[in-house]
Amino acid sequence: MRISRMRYFFPLGLFIALFLDGALSQVFAGAMFTPTLAIESRLVLLWIVMAVCFGKIDHIILWTVFAGLVFDLYYTGIIGAFVVIMPLIVYLTKLMYRFFTPSFIVVLLIYLIDITVATVVFYWINLLIGFTNVSMAGFIGLSLGSTLAYNLAVFVLLYFPLQRFFESFSR
Amino acid sequence: MQRFFFNKRLIIVLVVLIISFVLIAFSITVRNNKETPPLVQQVGNDASGIVDRVVAYPVNGIKGALGSFSDLMNTYSENQRLKGQVDGLAAEKVTNQNLEKENKKLKEQLKLNKTLTDYETISASVLTRSPSAWQNQVVISKGSLAGIKKNAAVMSKKGLVGRVTEVNKTNSKVELLSTTNDSANRFATQVMTKDDKVVNGLITGYNENSNYLVMGQITVKTGMEKGDKVITSGLGGNSPKGLYVGTVAKVEEDDYGLASKVYVKPAADFTDLDVVTVAKRVD
Repeated sequence: MRISRMRYFFPLGLFIALFLDGALSQVFAGAMFTPTLAIESRLVLLWIVMAVCFGKIDHIILWTVFAGLVFDLYYTGIIGAFVVIMPLIVYLTKLMYRFFTPSFIVVLLIYLIDITVATVVFYWINLLIGFTNVSMAGFIGLSLGSTLAYNLAVFVLLYFPLQRFFESFSR
Repeated sequence: MQRFFFNKRLIIVLVVLIISFVLIAFSITVRNNKETPPLVQQVGNDASGIVDRVVAYPVNGIKGALGSFSDLMNTYSENQRLKGQVDGLAAEKVTNQNLEKENKKLKEQLKLNKTLTDYETISASVLTRSPSAWQNQVVISKGSLAGIKKNAAVMSKKGLVGRVTEVNKTNSKVELLSTTNDSANRFATQVMTKDDKVVNGLITGYNENSNYLVMGQITVKTGMEKGDKVITSGLGGNSPKGLYVGTVAKVEEDDYGLASKVYVKPAADFTDLDVVTVAKRVD
């Protein structure tokens, strides 16, 4: 039996996406974090959603828990947020994907729901521990709207390359 | 059978939630502790830092190339402007050297070896920024091996930007002044007024809408004007004295009319950090 090359490519891409998020936030900080908008780059979620939809990956939950742990340790220092959010996204995506036939629009809508859930849960955790005191209305205007717009644009750019990548390596 | 599965799933969800809450609560409680992070976490962070350096390298390369191009476009006008400043600079440098020498001599006479203004600097580059709207945090490329201590003050080229919150072996996390975190450690600062008086206070918060730092706990109200310089006062033991924070933007009564709140326009741009300097107190 041939071992799927996806076994190596998935974790590799997962961590590249994870660290690219930080690098992009650093390089474009002037445009992404202004008084009126705060964009959270979530390439890593795009990678996970595309992998769930188009790839066949073993131990995906374990890998996402691990990536979430690295996110929490390295970026925030508050362990427990993304460790839960990332596998939750995998579960949600699998749950929704079951009911649809795959197409660009379907995956796009699933991705938008995932981003919304992740952003809202992350905001809620930070509100709970006093890292922010922005109100719900303020959060929607400041962070959620711009985060959705940015990640939507990235999705449109990367959907077809990623789809082809996952389909060709998962056979 | 159906009921069994439902219960099993519910239990899993509850256990996961409880573990998550416990972890978050634990991280928050030990955050300001001197011994954190534990060695395991440090090793994890150091490993992440190494991978991050590899991944971020091409991104920073592209940014560098774009930056040099725009620099090249601005070179002529900048050169004209700087020529004027350079002439004055030489004279200022000589005066500065003389004053420094005199200061050193006077200190020797007073047998004063270390004052609050003495500090060592450690330069580090910024590796990455948290992709998060709520954590205004950057990771810098030096850690405890280079001598960085927790709670040390961090400056950009223009002024104070934040403090070190977590030290690993080869990298550390810096919480920027623009954070609205309730538990953030505060800087003791002072306003130098035009008539040579000093007003002490604390940076108590950050106003996101106006991009001003809020300085509270003011000792006296009088004499502050717009444009007065604000520096760290060195009180509290974490930062040295004399790090430039910014200028006074406006003075306001606080919500109860008792003390005044001073809005400080920060000198540093918190979203444009490439290289930072960590100020390490020597006393």
